[in-house]
Amino acid sequence: MTALAKEYKFSEIIADPVVRERWEKVRRYFFLRESTYDMSNRCNLRCEGCYYFTGEKQFAEENRDREAWRQLLEAEKARGITFVVLAGAEPSLVPELCEACYRVIPLGVIASNGMEVMPREIDYRIHISVWGNDRTSLAIRKAPDMLVRQMANYKDDARAVFVYTFTPVNIDEAREVTELLAKAGLKITFNMFSAPVGYSGPLRHTPATLARTAQVMTELLAEFPETVLYSSYNIVAHTRQQGLHALFSCSYPRMNPSTDIGLGRSFRQYRTNLQWDRDSACCVPDTDCDDCRHYAAGSAVVTARMYRHATDPLIFSAWLDYVDTYLAVWVKGYDKGANICDAPVAPPPNNGLFPV
Amino acid sequence: MNNDITQTISRIAEIIIHELKLEDVTSQTFDPDLDLVDEVGVDSMDLATIALVLRDEYGIRIDEDDYPKLTTVRIIAEYINTKLTNGE
Repeated sequence: MTALAKEYKFSEIIADPVVRERWEKVRRYFFLRESTYDMSNRCNLRCEGCYYFTGEKQFAEENRDREAWRQLLEAEKARGITFVVLAGAEPSLVPELCEACYRVIPLGVIASNGMEVMPREIDYRIHISVWGNDRTSLAIRKAPDMLVRQMANYKDDARAVFVYTFTPVNIDEAREVTELLAKAGLKITFNMFSAPVGYSGPLRHTPATLARTAQVMTELLAEFPETVLYSSYNIVAHTRQQGLHALFSCSYPRMNPSTDIGLGRSFRQYRTNLQWDRDSACCVPDTDCDDCRHYAAGSAVVTARMYRHATDPLIFSAWLDYVDTYLAVWVKGYDKGANICDAPVAPPPNNGLFPV
Repeated sequence: MNNDITQTISRIAEIIIHELKLEDVTSQTFDPDLDLVDEVGVDSMDLATIALVLRDEYGIRIDEDDYPKLTTVRIIAEYINTKLTNGE
């Protein structure tokens, strides 16, 4: 005979002062509504497995008119967008366009390889991509001394968060990178290589590399809590054999036909010609959805699943850690608190409900 | 039933006003037919928060896939009353 699980009221779930405080802290940011923008179709690197140089978007013509970008961002603001992600191919090659965006919507992130310094007056978070130590980066990204140069460019820069993408070939290099960043007082978070559609190269994760990645992430999180922006629930959500869509039902338009509310209603992914296509709109277009464990996708998709995590104090605490991590990684000035749930709790069942 | 729905509408309006910290409106002046998304600016996280408070208040579950249907206070009130009537 199986005992029935206790059904908690939400007021009981947040009764613990630590949980309540964290809930009140994160809910102040529920106003964030994101869209993403490809800023340039050029990059100063050419990395194996790059999602930008897959599919049609790489062929979109560049619009380099500052006024056109300003008008686009004004229109975005008018339709409720409060947070921008400036991504492909390499935004640091068009700082004048990033600055035009910043003047209109001052909350956002620039995803960069960190080879060029973004002007300080553009006060967005800057995510600097790291794909292993410098030997591996030279092999995969064809650039020498990448981490050395990235760290020099963003030394003492509160905007910077280094994003370490775990691939099957760099798992054990994460420690070396984390140690270097810790010594320099810089922050790191973790991403998972998520294969582009049609990719069959060696960077696609396997069950064994997912398990090994989870183990290394757990060790680094425990040993470098001041440096690593992550939580136990991030590790669970991003290293399972099922991808994010199978676990949580992706809510980006590409996988979500609903335009009623949430990301399905508001999210757009603009290409360099300032056009967007609902059928391919997500934060990492041309990624294979079945293999998607991308940190950007998780930040939106796991966060959006608040209701189903509000079943007991433990799993809600895990979700709060995830959201606290997401905000610390994405919102400049948001300070991550200590994680409140160290247990690797399983995600709630995904009943394949209509994504919102 | 009309009394019930009126009371439910009033209580839901109170909850929405409190949770979303809406100003210049009371449960008496809140138009129950306002579109919560288009006219009040409610998004999915707001709606999930409201759903959790309603779950406590009425002891019902609001399915995630029902969210898109819950576009006004009146519709939410009818949804809740139906669930209560059916003992769900």
